[in-house]
Amino acid sequence: MDNTVTIKGYSHGITVILNPDTDYETLKQKVAVKFRESAKFLGNTQMALRFEGRKLSGEEQIELLNIITRECNLNIVCIACDDETEDGLFVRALEKADLSPSDQTVSKTLQNARFYKGNLRSGMEMTFEENALIIGDVNPGASVNANGSIIILGSLKGNAVAGMGGNENAFVLALDMAPVQIRIAQTIARSPDHPARSESKEAQIAFLEDGAIYIEPVSKKVLSERTI
Amino acid sequence: MGEVIVVTSGKGGVGKTTTTANVGTGLAKLDKKVVLIDTDIGLRNLDVVMGLENRIVYNLVDVVEGNCRIKQALIKDKRYNNLYLLPSAQTRDKSAVTPEQMKVLCDELKNEFDYIIVDCPAGIEQGFKNAIAGADRALVVTTPEVSAVRDADRIIGLLEANEMKKIDLIVNRLRVDLVKSGDMMSSSDVEEILAINLIGVVPDDENIVVSTNQGEPLVGSDAKAGIAYMNICKRIMGEDVPFMDLTAKKGFFSKLFGKKN
Repeated sequence: MDNTVTIKGYSHGITVILNPDTDYETLKQKVAVKFRESAKFLGNTQMALRFEGRKLSGEEQIELLNIITRECNLNIVCIACDDETEDGLFVRALEKADLSPSDQTVSKTLQNARFYKGNLRSGMEMTFEENALIIGDVNPGASVNANGSIIILGSLKGNAVAGMGGNENAFVLALDMAPVQIRIAQTIARSPDHPARSESKEAQIAFLEDGAIYIEPVSKKVLSERTI
Repeated sequence: MGEVIVVTSGKGGVGKTTTTANVGTGLAKLDKKVVLIDTDIGLRNLDVVMGLENRIVYNLVDVVEGNCRIKQALIKDKRYNNLYLLPSAQTRDKSAVTPEQMKVLCDELKNEFDYIIVDCPAGIEQGFKNAIAGADRALVVTTPEVSAVRDADRIIGLLEANEMKKIDLIVNRLRVDLVKSGDMMSSSDVEEILAINLIGVVPDDENIVVSTNQGEPLVGSDAKAGIAYMNICKRIMGEDVPFMDLTAKKGFFSKLFGKKN
């Protein structure tokens, strides 16, 4: 696998991890290729961008940003370095950029879902900007991550990370719920060490309430209590 | 100051991960502070064999890339308070870590632990180089099969070329009945070919299959393999333990029906 350029989602946008050992010219080409390939996946949302892994000069940052905006439809609102304290500035920049108040932006962007058809096998990790709908199984060693909720029309036997950006209303729903780990916002739940595997497979939903993750059979009642 | 032990074999499927899990757990049982490192990036297994898969949050790659502190990535075992696991990453490959980074990591862990057991991936490429980088001694695992012994010989050569101070041999999955009938090499045959110190012989034992599937290492139990692994642990600590008699005592039924297999 080529690790020269890696794109990762994080709470307010995306992180571009650059290999410190690659020379700058190759790096530019790799960034172009990576974003061209990911253009469809990333869509045209408004987000912040930060670079990690190597020190970039001002001109280099601007040049890379130009490459990125040329290759995909993202609307980059600001660039930040990988310093935690900068996060505040960052969010403010995001908020200013949008004409509507920020929490409306969140609910607006989290109303869309992306489909993925196929099984996620061990070692595969898929990250979704909004909600995810997987038609297939998520096997042990694989992970589905989303800023919003995750619905799996199949078995969840691996990891699911919903509400990556801190959305505590996010939930995970699967036709067959046998996860290794489920994370919602900042909370992590792991499977029991000696699971009592019931024979009847029924659709179950995992959600966060009072700081704990609950898994319950899908019912009208449970669903009506969910907000997105 | 702790000791870094790499468990390696060259060939796949001879029992490196099982040996790592059992030796690590055995040393912890003997009151040593132990950490197990899985260096098989992309094909991790040790967490499953230890029954700790569901506790993984950070991994080896996160540690070397500085995404978290070592302490955050270490998973405490569910049975022993003095046993920890540093799991490998599943979504990356061997190139995510360099031998230099492994050496730094091992040196740092040495300050805190008595034993650092490194589970090496099969092969002699980057994963192997990473695994042996920080090691003080090696346990070479082989089964009494010609192909496995060939690979073990190659591995021993590479370890010697890398100036490994101490190399010991574990003969795994020995079947006494086959040795007796002359269809399998005996542990002394293997020892003679490879010409390194034999530190343990583990008989083929179906209890191992059960224990790996359940994520509960067998070491210290009454099963023959459990006793054999415990003896290996004691020998690692420098105790002089006699090799057990693997031909001893058949069960009631085999006595009744005579030699069947």
